[in-house]
Amino acid sequence: MSAPSAPPKPYLNPYLAGFGLGLVLLSAFVIMGRGLGASGAVTTTAAVAVRTVAPAYAGASPFFSDYLGDGSISPFKDWLVFQVIGVFVGGLLSGAFGNRLRVTVEKGPHFSTPRRLLLAFVGGAILAMGAKLALGCMSGQALTGGALLNAGSWAAMVCIFGGAYGFAWFVRRQWL
Amino acid sequence: MNAPFFRFGAFNDETSLIVAFVIGLAFGFFLERAGFGSARKLTAQFYFKDLSVLKVMFTAILTAMTGLYVVSRFGLVDLSLVHLTPTFLVPQLLGGVLLGIGFVIGGYCPGTSVVSAATGRLDAVVFLGGMFAGTLAIGFASPVLAPLASLTAFGARTLPAVLHLPHGVVVLAVVVLAIGAFVAAEWAERKLGGVEPGPGSLLGSPRPLNPARGLVAGLLGLGLVAAVAGNPYREGRVRLDARRLAELAGSAVDQVTAEDLGAWIIEGRADFVLVDLRSEAEYARHRIPGARHVPLASLDDTIVPRTEKLVLYAASEAQAAQAWVLLKAQGFKAVYTLAGGLDAWNHEVLFPAAPAEETPSANAAFARRVAVARHLGGSPRGAAVGTPEPPSNLGPPPTPATTPGSKSAAPVAKKKREGC
Repeated sequence: MSAPSAPPKPYLNPYLAGFGLGLVLLSAFVIMGRGLGASGAVTTTAAVAVRTVAPAYAGASPFFSDYLGDGSISPFKDWLVFQVIGVFVGGLLSGAFGNRLRVTVEKGPHFSTPRRLLLAFVGGAILAMGAKLALGCMSGQALTGGALLNAGSWAAMVCIFGGAYGFAWFVRRQWL
Repeated sequence: MNAPFFRFGAFNDETSLIVAFVIGLAFGFFLERAGFGSARKLTAQFYFKDLSVLKVMFTAILTAMTGLYVVSRFGLVDLSLVHLTPTFLVPQLLGGVLLGIGFVIGGYCPGTSVVSAATGRLDAVVFLGGMFAGTLAIGFASPVLAPLASLTAFGARTLPAVLHLPHGVVVLAVVVLAIGAFVAAEWAERKLGGVEPGPGSLLGSPRPLNPARGLVAGLLGLGLVAAVAGNPYREGRVRLDARRLAELAGSAVDQVTAEDLGAWIIEGRADFVLVDLRSEAEYARHRIPGARHVPLASLDDTIVPRTEKLVLYAASEAQAAQAWVLLKAQGFKAVYTLAGGLDAWNHEVLFPAAPAEETPSANAAFARRVAVARHLGGSPRGAAVGTPEPPSNLGPPPTPATTPGSKSAAPVAKKKREGC
């Protein structure tokens, strides 16, 4: 972690940051013929965990075995897993350049840390279930599918914003 | 030059992982630059304090969408080979709502939580733990949820297809709507969030031209080009130029040799779909490990995605060649046939013959082929011990290649899911 004394640099202009992200997404299309994703890497990890504990169950479950392949190569030798490792390193580098590496908890000033951590866990769990039903998360559906004009992705995107705006009032104390 | 490069075999699976890492690195970098390592900044979107999420997301969508239009329309990329996640409307609507609720409760989406965890946010680490638990939960519940998850399947569908509008017109419409949303977002930040638009914004800049305005103008220009420049998909129907097709069919360009195919199967390569075109009974009796049975009549992009690399085989090369022509005519690009058909597979891979002349290099090559044959459940024939005759009608092994523990034992190769 960098010295907390150095003040964090301001964030990049959102339009320019979006342009940069768009070019990354475009290069994924051109080079690989596929877009970005994130939630799939969590599913791979979960599938491997299940296989470690209960191999027979994991093999018989279409949900988990989908992410395990036929066993000839490690499930972690996967496009999304490597991409997410890249996301971690890229975020770390950018954070270091911007003096934004801080061990902290993100929350509003009037909300306790234990409650924030509880809600982070609950939110993550709800989101993961949504990602499985929607066949992707914000990266895979909203961003990638949005740019591809994928019909189902646009339907999901509208619902993502609808769900978030609709529920924001109930958790406002956490953030404001 | 043909793109997507990976789909045209420019590099292999191993290299694609390096590409994935580099693309992920740039993705994470820009997410963090945008401020998306902070849950407070992300969720400020939903209280009209800071609408960066909308601005960043839609600028990225517009950039990639118009860019992809241009590179496809002007020939570099075959758009039909870019993976499109199929639409399942009801589960996606429901899943979208859950994604939104999870986002505002948890503070992150999956990609941003990784960035946030990388920069030291403990709540992001806990969020990832929550995602892990949620994935396990829905995985355990998947047998119950399966009927729901497969409701309202529409296949891979784009908005232009649904709306019956030209692709480029929809591109322009999205650009215009998004720019409208940017302006509305800046207005809302001022009116509802009390934040004056800064010099880098669309509304607040004292100069007529700033990077944001220039970018938006450029995107609008590309949108206008898209609206008039026509269909970005390559010609879906080949003009059946008999001579050209005959040339192609006669050359080995779109063929895979039995030996190569054997090597791919043993390596566990998952970047192709092997299609058996023969009858159900023949398929049940004997097939190449990992092959899917798709009768010729049902061979279209609802069964086999156009984005897949296909390797076709039948008893003879000629039958597969018919299917090759059919698929080419439907606009499939990466279609290959097994050179020599199943006969070649049996002769060259499962039951290779010993070389006629025993030179060291020929023997070494034969030893390799024997190893491959054994691995796939076959055996060598010829000079070796007692010269066992090749089984009558090139006897397929009774249970093709289901040696326990064999890498390719699975009757149907389980291709890992693509997409998020």
